[in-house]
Amino acid sequence: MGIEHASLGVLVLMALLIGPVLYYIRLARQERELYVRRIPGVGAIDEAVGRAAELGRPVSYTSGLTGVGPVLYACLGVLYHVARKAARYKLKLLTPQSDAQVLVVAEDTLRDAYRAEGRLALLDARNNMYLSDEQFAFAAGYMGLMQREAVAATFLFGHFAAESLLLAEAGQQAGAMQVASTISPEQVPFFICTCDYTLIGEELFAAAAYLTREPVQLGSLYGQDRAKLLMFVAIVVGVVIATLNSIYPELQLRNIEDYILRELW
Amino acid sequence: MQYRAKLIKLVTFLGGIYYFLEFVLPASIAGVKIDQYHEQISNGFVAVGAAAIGLGLINLLMVHGSRIIFRRRGWFESCALLLGLTAMAYATAGEWAGSVDSSAQAGRLMMLREFSDRIMADAAANKADVLPVSKRNQFLYDAATKEIPELRALVTRLSNMAGEDVETARAQRLSPRVLAATDALVSGLEDLPRGEAAVGDVGKNSEISQRLADASVLSREGETLLFEQTRTKRFYEFLYQSFFISLGAAMFSLLGFYIAAAAYRAFRIRSSESALMLCAALLVMLGQIPFGLWIWDGFPEVRVWLLSIPSSGAFRAIKIGALVAGLVMAFRMWLSIESESFAERS
Repeated sequence: MGIEHASLGVLVLMALLIGPVLYYIRLARQERELYVRRIPGVGAIDEAVGRAAELGRPVSYTSGLTGVGPVLYACLGVLYHVARKAARYKLKLLTPQSDAQVLVVAEDTLRDAYRAEGRLALLDARNNMYLSDEQFAFAAGYMGLMQREAVAATFLFGHFAAESLLLAEAGQQAGAMQVASTISPEQVPFFICTCDYTLIGEELFAAAAYLTREPVQLGSLYGQDRAKLLMFVAIVVGVVIATLNSIYPELQLRNIEDYILRELW
Repeated sequence: MQYRAKLIKLVTFLGGIYYFLEFVLPASIAGVKIDQYHEQISNGFVAVGAAAIGLGLINLLMVHGSRIIFRRRGWFESCALLLGLTAMAYATAGEWAGSVDSSAQAGRLMMLREFSDRIMADAAANKADVLPVSKRNQFLYDAATKEIPELRALVTRLSNMAGEDVETARAQRLSPRVLAATDALVSGLEDLPRGEAAVGDVGKNSEISQRLADASVLSREGETLLFEQTRTKRFYEFLYQSFFISLGAAMFSLLGFYIAAAAYRAFRIRSSESALMLCAALLVMLGQIPFGLWIWDGFPEVRVWLLSIPSSGAFRAIKIGALVAGLVMAFRMWLSIESESFAERS
């Protein structure tokens, strides 16, 4: 909207976006059943880990160039699930990292997961390794690791840039079953071409909720879907107003942005 | 332990509410600027990040140092890492110090030029609370004269540069230009009205400003050229440009082959969706290349339509969905709802 500082209008919009989330988190905590549609890519996560268990080969999970932030927390939900499965089937889980802070956070999540399965002794901290924060050095390290370890399943969840195809091709050449998910729209086509299953955009956030079934995550997923519905309605109304203004200029209908800036401001 | 968790939540909330209010509140309320300390606070966070880099460096030295000392598995790679780290740190520090040195005189000359401009501006505005023009010009003269020996030394160093490469030829061309600029500055300074007895006019100051600017530009160019010939700079260039950048470029170039392999897999028609994708990709490619234009001149238009209407629509949908989900996740972190669920899990 071309503003440096938000004000009342944006505050109202934020409340409208966050309100449903808090409401549904409360509902989920009261143990109300919240239905989440099955996403094929999420189901494939268990399939890929199972395949690795059958082959007796390692599993790899990377969050790419993701730094500490909201996206990482969504990735950690999936990592927790994968790590529990790996601990249960006594699989070697490789988690190459490109960010030193993420390395520490991931280590904590891995410890939680292995402890939850009662197999903390199986956790090898050397498998949670820092490769490089330099994009292509990280990609080179990851590619070598996939080849050397002959991984059977790879999970690429998080933020990726030009190295996405290098990472996914390395898994493909190692003959791994690959599940990818990214919020970077530019990298989605590369993953679709190279991976067996691809979760697009917000499905990354939905995956953690679906897998962990935690009330907070389920409630947020429900809430954010309602918030998006609100945005969808706003977009439709905006399109209708713009179309009517274009066909019947004499109507001079005010658009939503104009209304927010002038009335709610 | 309970108190520690509460403290973390409190600090997270306070940190979050600052940025939230900084965004939501207007720039000033009742004349008080809300974000007047914003820069200092942001710098504080940067300083914390810098401290983390220092900690990381110590950790790196401890981990790899102990691996080398006790000859544990991978000690040779640790040696390579620490050697690389030391070499790069030395080269980068040397390059930084050299760059600062080589632009020091240019910076001083530019400052004198600004001083000369200020003298003219103050005289034009008839400013009363400043020293007389003649006195200020005397200061300008004294300071600028001190720079002359260094400029002459630069001329000598440029002339003495030996070799038959492009840089030496550049130095040989630059040397007389620096000499001419220095001589012009000296003669200009001599003509500058100054001292107690002189008339305080600023007629010569614009000329001096221009000559100082010329000398500054040439000094920077000459010093940079000389610095580029030093071992420190060459070592840095070797490590960074010839090694680091080249390795990155080599990795990036692999993408070309991988894109071809991925495209082959993607464009095999296995379903109606992949057939649709193949058609769209074919149209975009034909719209991009001259061959497509030769077949039918409408392909570029089709390409633009595909990219700007259906493709960008899908991009926006992905972005809106991811942004809303990210916003919700950020709120959960801010209110520590997320960490609560992690703690419960532990």
